[in-house]
Amino acid sequence: MAMPQISAADQAKLQLMQEMEIEMMSDLYNRMTNACHKKCIPPRYSESELGKGEMVCIDRCVAKYLDIHEKIGKKLTAMSMQDEELMKKMSN
Amino acid sequence: MTKAPESVALDQLDKEQMKTFSDFLMSYNKLSEMCFTDCVRDFTSRDVQEKEEKCSLNCMEKYLKMNQRISQRFQEFQMITNENAMAMAKKTGQL
Repeated sequence: MAMPQISAADQAKLQLMQEMEIEMMSDLYNRMTNACHKKCIPPRYSESELGKGEMVCIDRCVAKYLDIHEKIGKKLTAMSMQDEELMKKMSN
Repeated sequence: MTKAPESVALDQLDKEQMKTFSDFLMSYNKLSEMCFTDCVRDFTSRDVQEKEEKCSLNCMEKYLKMNQRISQRFQEFQMITNENAMAMAKKTGQL
């Protein structure tokens, strides 16, 4: 076989990682929904339809939220990588 | 004894269904709380005023519509991200 066999332990780990990722995505989604609701829908419910301004606000809010999420993720990875390198240097 | 494959699949389905159901219940509770806090401020009378009821129902409907829109945008975003990742993988695979 050309494909390397994945051990059962690795497979279980992989599945756990996938589950964590799904959980994290749904948490992200819930938080984003909360944030955009708070920011875009004023608590005056004289109508059940979304207003034009509210729709535009939601679209921008989702896009911006995900952008910020990505940017913070990148910075966080960079910082932790820098930290790790520093730790390695210190221990040497 | 190990379980028959069918029953394992059934277990999995059950687990997912339960999760969906519990998610639904949670969002129901959250929605009630939110619309109550936004719409009901007057406690000089015991009865729910017509205004308060209308506000609460509008609040619920609007929230669902908002959710729909957010989910649409989120899916679009995910599709683009996936496409980019695939293109990236293809590119690095060729190199």
